[in-house]
Amino acid sequence: MKKRMGILAALFLAAGLTACGGNTAGNEESVSQAQTAESADVTRPQEDRAGNPITVPEEVDSIISLAPATTQILCDLGLADEIVAVDTNSPQYAEGLAEDVMQFDMMEPDLEQILNAQPDIIFVSNMSSQGGDDIFAGIREAGICVAEIPTSNTIEDVKKDVQFTADCVGKSEEGAALVEGMEAVIDEVSAIGQTMEEKKTVLFEISPVPYLYSFGTGVYLNEMIELIGAQNVLADQEGWLSVTEESAVAANPDVILTSDNFSNEDPVAEILGRAGWENVTAVKDGAVAYIDNAASSLPNHHIVDALKEMAKAVYPEEYAGLN
Amino acid sequence: MKRKNLLRVWIVLVACILALAAGIGIGSVMIFPADILGILGNKLFSLPLPAAVEASEVSIVWSIRFPRCLSAFLAGAALSASGTVMQSILRNPLASSYTLGVSSGASLGAAVVIVAGFTLPLAGALTLPLFGFVFGLGTVLAVIGFASRMDRGLENQTIILTGMVFSLFVNACMTLLSVLHQNYMQQLIRWQMGSFSGNSWEQVGILAVVMAAGVLYLCRFTRQMDMMTFGEEAARTMGVDTKRAKLKLIVAASLLTGTAVCFTGTVGFIDLIAPHVTRRVFGPAHKYVLPVSALFGGAFMVLADTLARTVLAPAELPVGAVTALIGAPFFAWVYFKGRGKA
Repeated sequence: MKKRMGILAALFLAAGLTACGGNTAGNEESVSQAQTAESADVTRPQEDRAGNPITVPEEVDSIISLAPATTQILCDLGLADEIVAVDTNSPQYAEGLAEDVMQFDMMEPDLEQILNAQPDIIFVSNMSSQGGDDIFAGIREAGICVAEIPTSNTIEDVKKDVQFTADCVGKSEEGAALVEGMEAVIDEVSAIGQTMEEKKTVLFEISPVPYLYSFGTGVYLNEMIELIGAQNVLADQEGWLSVTEESAVAANPDVILTSDNFSNEDPVAEILGRAGWENVTAVKDGAVAYIDNAASSLPNHHIVDALKEMAKAVYPEEYAGLN
Repeated sequence: MKRKNLLRVWIVLVACILALAAGIGIGSVMIFPADILGILGNKLFSLPLPAAVEASEVSIVWSIRFPRCLSAFLAGAALSASGTVMQSILRNPLASSYTLGVSSGASLGAAVVIVAGFTLPLAGALTLPLFGFVFGLGTVLAVIGFASRMDRGLENQTIILTGMVFSLFVNACMTLLSVLHQNYMQQLIRWQMGSFSGNSWEQVGILAVVMAAGVLYLCRFTRQMDMMTFGEEAARTMGVDTKRAKLKLIVAASLLTGTAVCFTGTVGFIDLIAPHVTRRVFGPAHKYVLPVSALFGGAFMVLADTLARTVLAPAELPVGAVTALIGAPFFAWVYFKGRGKA
């Protein structure tokens, strides 16, 4: 009985993963539509990042954010005091939230409480709408603006997410400043990255052995590896994937980056001491580095902090001047 | 019949060796059989390494693929042997040590370690397996303790029912824990799906010792198990102390499952089908069924794991899904192929 449940769970998870993949593809199309709408109307967006029509209230001073990446943007825009509720993950990433801020489960938010809080706008990610149901329909009907921001897969989209969030809360200029800050770092890094003659190969571990998890193309982290002038060893793959240990070893990366902050106390030491990896160039050279988990995993303007860390980890000499 | 079965045992043995050879020979990285033999010869018999072999190939074959195959084999064998014993003594074709809460207990143990984030001094890497093992075995012992208090004769229904109740309860604790600590959910789910990846030689050593000791111990009871399949009363009149035998066998079988689960996560299905397939071919005598279903389970698991890591290479599938995906049709084929003629 139990084991059948286990198998079922595994199958569901697999199905869930493929479903996610499908979702993102669909979102990209709608994203490009949203973009045209944005350029027509500068300050108040009329479509959210998923392409749904929205009406943003003139005056926004009570906000709910159910995505850590968005919460972080709002706090950096100086709106921490106006956030009345967040998802349970947000507090560990965003600074300045009220101690007693309401917290909701990202996957199953308490809709009654949300309605009761009467926010002007609520930001959600596509994490909350997985499974196809629009769980926020009731909230939309109640006249509350629901702005969906699907998890972005390109740096360009991440920039748009930041600008969109800022536009929704009437901070377009401040949002533009955040995006400009991103662009400045990206330009600085790519100027050096383009000069690399021999590209180092990189393996970026999201989760370590035995559940080795990484990504190929179509993920903003892959773009970041390319920006610094390196190459992802999994560049022939697409999207997120679990990798067999032996193909990772055979790929023989020059550098291994890890953003794992929960499996091991010292993820770098774990990689350097792994049985069977002693002949991998990165391990032989000690070229293994930890990249801040929050900065690399939340799709907002902080990814450039991860970009800088990655640049310095892969090419310490070339990027010595970067601050 | 006897001679036929002996021949069949040899066939299964050869199949095991072929499965292991396939497991070591095939991987997401193509390495030529000659090179693999060279590497094994070098490591096992200190023969000189062929010049064409790269250092990375040596570590792939010797440190990653070989221990992974062996641990798949050992875990598959341990799960199947324990499944055979549970099905026989509980006289229930669906029984396994999972029914008695080994896996839910082990999952809870692992969850506690993952959420609390502590490691044992001296044996850091063994913390998770050890806790999984202790919790898994603890749950079974609690089930038996409870069942024998409720029912002096320790009847099968009592054991199975108690096992179900305890499993559900422990599962609920686990669900509660994972809801309260959502950020560990992914880690927990992955652990429950099971994987043979990253198993080191030390782990293979532990598995091998427990597996060999456990299966040999269980093999001493094959005659009692034969008698117990006729029913407890019959076994008792033939002089079997059914309660004692049952206790010993359940604990030994759970020990096997517990060890396998704690190193690999809860890989299901194999413990259910291996005994049935073996009985179908070899008849009901445990002298054959027990060791052969262990061998069959081991070989099957090696093949399932080989598929898991090669079909979508370099991506990897959860082995638990593969065992059921190829196991269910295979099981149906073996079970129903004789039906048409009869």
